Amino acid sequence: MITLEHVTYAYPEAPEPILRDLSLRIDDGEFVLLVGASGSGKSTLLRCLNGLVPHFYGGALSGVVRVQGQDPVQAQPRAMSAHVGFVFQDPEAQFVMDTVEAELAFAMENHALPEATMRKRVEEVLDQLGIAHLRARRISSLSGGEKQRVAIASVLTLEPHVLVLDEPTSQLDPQSAEDVLTTLQKLNVDLGLTVVLSEHRLERVVQYADRIIYLPGHGEPLTDGTPQDVLRQIPLAPPLVQLGKALGWDPLPFTIKEARQQARSLSLPERAPSTPDSSATPHDSTPDIVVRGLWHAYDGHPALRGIDLTIARGELVALMGRNGSGKTTLLKHLVGLLQPQRGSVLVRGLDTRQVPLEQLVGLVGYVPQNPNALLFADTVAQELAFTRRNHGLPEQDVAELLETLGIGEQAERYPRDLSVGERQRVALAAILAADPQIILMDEPTRGVDYTQKEALTRFLQAERDRGRTVLLSTHDVELAAACVDRVIILGDGEIVVDGPTRQVMSQSMVFSSQVNKLLRDERYLTVADVLGQAL
Amino acid sequence: MPNATASVGPTRDATGSVDTVPAMNQTLAWLVWAVCMAALALTIRNPLYLALIALATWLVHIALYQRSSLGQSWRGLVKLGALVWLIAIPLNALMIHQGNIVLFRLPAHWPLIGGPITLEAVIHGAVNGLALWEVLAIFAAFNMAVDASQLLRMVPPFLYQAGVVASIALTFMPQMLLSAREIREAQRLRGHKFRSWRDLLPLFVPLLTTALEHAIQLAESMESRGFGGELTGMSAQASNRLKGRMALSLLLMLVGLFARSYWRNSAWLGLALLGIGVLLLVSVFAAYGHRVQRSHYRRAAWQTRDNWIALPALLALVITLGVAAFDRMALNYYPYPPYALTPAFDPWLGLVLTALALPGLAALYEGPPVTAEVTP
Repeated sequence: MITLEHVTYAYPEAPEPILRDLSLRIDDGEFVLLVGASGSGKSTLLRCLNGLVPHFYGGALSGVVRVQGQDPVQAQPRAMSAHVGFVFQDPEAQFVMDTVEAELAFAMENHALPEATMRKRVEEVLDQLGIAHLRARRISSLSGGEKQRVAIASVLTLEPHVLVLDEPTSQLDPQSAEDVLTTLQKLNVDLGLTVVLSEHRLERVVQYADRIIYLPGHGEPLTDGTPQDVLRQIPLAPPLVQLGKALGWDPLPFTIKEARQQARSLSLPERAPSTPDSSATPHDSTPDIVVRGLWHAYDGHPALRGIDLTIARGELVALMGRNGSGKTTLLKHLVGLLQPQRGSVLVRGLDTRQVPLEQLVGLVGYVPQNPNALLFADTVAQELAFTRRNHGLPEQDVAELLETLGIGEQAERYPRDLSVGERQRVALAAILAADPQIILMDEPTRGVDYTQKEALTRFLQAERDRGRTVLLSTHDVELAAACVDRVIILGDGEIVVDGPTRQVMSQSMVFSSQVNKLLRDERYLTVADVLGQAL
Repeated sequence: MPNATASVGPTRDATGSVDTVPAMNQTLAWLVWAVCMAALALTIRNPLYLALIALATWLVHIALYQRSSLGQSWRGLVKLGALVWLIAIPLNALMIHQGNIVLFRLPAHWPLIGGPITLEAVIHGAVNGLALWEVLAIFAAFNMAVDASQLLRMVPPFLYQAGVVASIALTFMPQMLLSAREIREAQRLRGHKFRSWRDLLPLFVPLLTTALEHAIQLAESMESRGFGGELTGMSAQASNRLKGRMALSLLLMLVGLFARSYWRNSAWLGLALLGIGVLLLVSVFAAYGHRVQRSHYRRAAWQTRDNWIALPALLALVITLGVAAFDRMALNYYPYPPYALTPAFDPWLGLVLTALALPGLAALYEGPPVTAEVTP
């Protein structure tokens, strides 16, 4: 059992506490989902459960924390590791050893368990998580989903009663995320393991949770209860729940199956024989990006195989596909970072093999997946000024741009102190400060909550309406459903599907929004689509 | 059942590099090999014997290069060794002005480098440089053969934490290089150009902060899994006694060194003090080691193939040192007069050093892991 009584915690030198007078109780065997806006203190709360807060970070903690009868503050994370397994967000950054089996043994070696016990537990955990085939592999050769399952396995060998996970699927594609989450559900059901998990993309995980704890941030009191109760009260909700709330469904649906029963009562207008898709028509038919027969290989291993693609000016396009399907490689070709080994890439008529990169970057803005690669200045405003200076542009008031992206108040803050979602938007602002004609974005919604995602959607549509061409590579089906006109799905370096969003999504099993999976009608991709039409 | 075959032999991933690691016992065998080889390369100066050691190292290189996922990076170290060698030649030639075969002369009033430049000095520089190059190549081959994390498991308990730090530092380098590339690309796309040292900031700050954040995450992950081991309780008194013993041991060693250097007549006194100091220090470390309770997963038994790796090098070292004890000049080589320019060669010693090629030949015979099963 986990109990927190009147817990208040402030990071060192923070003006105010991030957790204020927090009390809660989690019973053995519960599957608890912790949600909240980015920067609301979810990670901090999770770290209180094994003593990383305050032992690792310093700061002042008051109140009482008890986990399985232990006080993490007194016991320290080292001793708490026998009771609480902790899995982190970044699959890359949490491994110590080189191979799967050695990684699994690491925690047990630290606890000086006898060799026979270790051998037995490694075998058990490998089977429980279905990763026995990975045992001799080097960790660096695993995929993101496999890495997260190994990370879970590496803490389970100590047989903890509680498993704490800090956004474990935020960097995974939909299928890998589901693999990890079903693994967790199995552990919860089969072993009675208490699971405490934080996550932004509720649509992925809400169906597995027994309970939701909502952390509003700014020291406000939390909302705690069954998913049904909490989701009715809080602003964050996955699309199905939004639909259920808007239409007064009771109980709220968490899975497509549950929603299907409720949707029988929904009367939607008859389908017109064939509605031409107006949203897919760009403002202008001038081709902005023309890719012909593009091949690219890394060390003889093809990453792109004969890509043919034309994107017109003013189109808003999503590039989707599994991790490793070639999305980032394609984006890098469009901005001239990579040059075609075969075929050609024309950006506004310029051949990327012939014009220097400096000329292209004035035209194309590329927002990388990892915002940390960009941010270095002392304030957010300086980051933007730096980009403008680089492009030889005059200084300009950036308040409006920051405001549109929802980071107006952050202008004078140190970028690295911001939450992941905020940093992502600062990186975006830093690129957009030069007002590029073509915007390329790599995974723009990692660690971004629903409210911020809505703001991003509005912003991208506004950019398109200004005649900017936008191409984003994303795993986020809901984002794509909400804002893009056209979806391109890559598979193993080839374009598998390319078409208007509505058509592609209503014909795909994986790359389809929740609402569309429910109604299987190309007129309905988002909650707004349904509410606009429902009788 | 996918797991039925997975643990049998290493497999290759999609990029062609091997994604599994060698067994534990091999690590110890290769460690013995590397230490003996390096000791040989450092004690021998005869170019003919050095050439035999180079041949043995080269064989190991070509056998293991394909197997190691980091083969390419370690080959970089060998290239660096070549550079060291190329620098050592002119350095020696410019500094040492002895010898009869004068190639050319630099003005005598030039400090240090002025005077005759001789063939003997060039040759001696090349031989010394070769020894250094070999040590680097041996280190590279050792790293291709073993795995940093396997090595970490062999570190004695009291050095365990230091060992982990070292192994993380090793794995950090490739990651740092990756993020450096990512950062440079991202800033270039933002229009960043390199004009003066101030332009380093947009590259350096993200690199540093990314590395630090990465380190913090890793440290959190290790701490959350009980890293540091179970510490058995120790009273403040006992802890102070241990610290006192450590101070005493260091003091004894210092006095011993001092005595040995200054009282030449009674060198044995210095040696004795030094010895007592070292013993005391070992006992302190052992006491600390007892406090850290760790266990080891899969301690593998020594196998016949490990003999082929370790024994030739070990025997060669013992025999070579034995030869050196009787005849100091047997391993040395001075091209300067009155010695001959051509090095001496003892066929028996040559035969012993040729045996160093056995590990490389054995590894070549085993072939790349993927085809290992089909080798008749």
